[in-house]
Amino acid sequence: MRDKLRKWREDNHRNSEQIVDVAEELINEHASKLGDDIWIIYEQVMIAALDCSRDDLAWTCLQELKKQFPGSQRVKRLGGMRLEALEKYEEAGKQYDSILQEDPTNTAARKRKISILKAQGKNTDAIRELNEYLELFVGDQEAWHELSDLYINEHDYGKAAFCLEELMMTNPHNHLYCEQYAEVKYTQGGLENLELSRKYFAQALKLNNRNMRALFGLYMSASHIAASPKVNAAVKKANVKYAAWAANQINRAYQLAGRGTKENKCSVKAVEEMLESMQITMS
Amino acid sequence: MAEPELLLDSNIRLWVVLPIVFITFLVGVIRHYVSILLQSDKKLTLEQVSDSQVLIRSRILRENGKYIPKQSFLMRKFYFNNQEDGFFKKTKRKVVPPSPMTDPSMLTDMMKGNVTNVLPMILIGGWINWTFSGFVTTKVPFPLTLRFKPMLQQGIELLSLDASWVSSASWYFLNVFGLRSMYSLILGQDNGADQSRIMQEQMSGAAMAMPADTNKAFKAEWEALELTDHQWALESVEEELMSRELDLDGMFTAE
Repeated sequence: MRDKLRKWREDNHRNSEQIVDVAEELINEHASKLGDDIWIIYEQVMIAALDCSRDDLAWTCLQELKKQFPGSQRVKRLGGMRLEALEKYEEAGKQYDSILQEDPTNTAARKRKISILKAQGKNTDAIRELNEYLELFVGDQEAWHELSDLYINEHDYGKAAFCLEELMMTNPHNHLYCEQYAEVKYTQGGLENLELSRKYFAQALKLNNRNMRALFGLYMSASHIAASPKVNAAVKKANVKYAAWAANQINRAYQLAGRGTKENKCSVKAVEEMLESMQITMS
Repeated sequence: MAEPELLLDSNIRLWVVLPIVFITFLVGVIRHYVSILLQSDKKLTLEQVSDSQVLIRSRILRENGKYIPKQSFLMRKFYFNNQEDGFFKKTKRKVVPPSPMTDPSMLTDMMKGNVTNVLPMILIGGWINWTFSGFVTTKVPFPLTLRFKPMLQQGIELLSLDASWVSSASWYFLNVFGLRSMYSLILGQDNGADQSRIMQEQMSGAAMAMPADTNKAFKAEWEALELTDHQWALESVEEELMSRELDLDGMFTAE
């Protein structure tokens, strides 16, 4: 049982309900057998309990941790998170400020402050604070990703693209970042951005051949460029070729999916029709 | 010419050689734990953390810049290296080399280091010399010149004795250095009982990460970044991709 918890902890699973179910039983009955693991399990369970609004469980975990580690910054941060869950945002903010006074390099407290702003819906403030945070801690990839999400919500696609570029540089083999970047570029629109998006969709596919979203993206961007009135003939021809290849691959994928069963054969046909309808007609 | 071999009383082996080994080893282990207890927390300043991350980012830009579009790469290069405004040109960190005398935390660290390592060595070396004196302990397997005699044969007053025969004090010192590898086996790397490494560190100068280094590091990064060029890795990515069919194995599992 504790192996499962450890696995969830290491993989960063956020299956809070499962954790809460498992944990209550675990803590009540086997507390002595867990040994030193129990503290980190308390932390894991507390965060899960906050997710499920189980304040009672969260409170007990916090008390145990406070008894064992008085004055620890990690425990203080958990206390702050509980206050956040109860929507007492000012108190939570004060708690984090006190942590930061003791230790200005504590990234966890700063990030929680930013998430308070986000929870209150103050997107612009959160963006501003996150920018300042990133000026200090340029290497924090979670933060870059969060910032790109915030920018996408604000429809500021240029800046979101910047954040995703940072992520792509630090993780050049991650096809998901490539694909997200390509989608942002596609949304921005304009010929160069479409070309860029097509290239990045292709890169995402190259990194992971099975990324269906990138395949569809490739098809869309290629056909969009081909349909645009501003391109010359050679570019148009190349893009038509790309689009055709992409459609071919999509068909192949759906056929592979539909091996055998009759219903799936109809879905292949549906895909073909969909592809034809997605063809952006020349104006 | 072959020297007549001295036959040592086996009691010597039992009551001298082995106890010295044990004593050295146990003292080393105790020193390790004491140094852990006395260790002071290394507090990093915000600036140091931030600087180290900036350096990492610039390095990543150099290595992986080819995955982002040319304009973005140029934008970042410009941000770092611009003549008036660039980050590496503009920021000069205050250089205060931490001299041992003025920086209090370094002073206490040094003192603790000295107390835990050098002092016990001297004390125990002297005690062993006093206790186990007056007889020959062991023979080193290689021939030594006569100049080593007064050093290695502390309590023995024989002029004609071959310098390879050594006293217990020298056996103790041999142990101190020899058991270093044993410590790494048992206590893991970077343990507090590793005396020779500590002495090496003391000799090679004060702190390893001197603040002056930050300025030099920035300058080095600036030069390196000036030299890097943008080779877009995605030039012909579509052609490469479409040269063969997609590998769709294992994408769908049978229901």
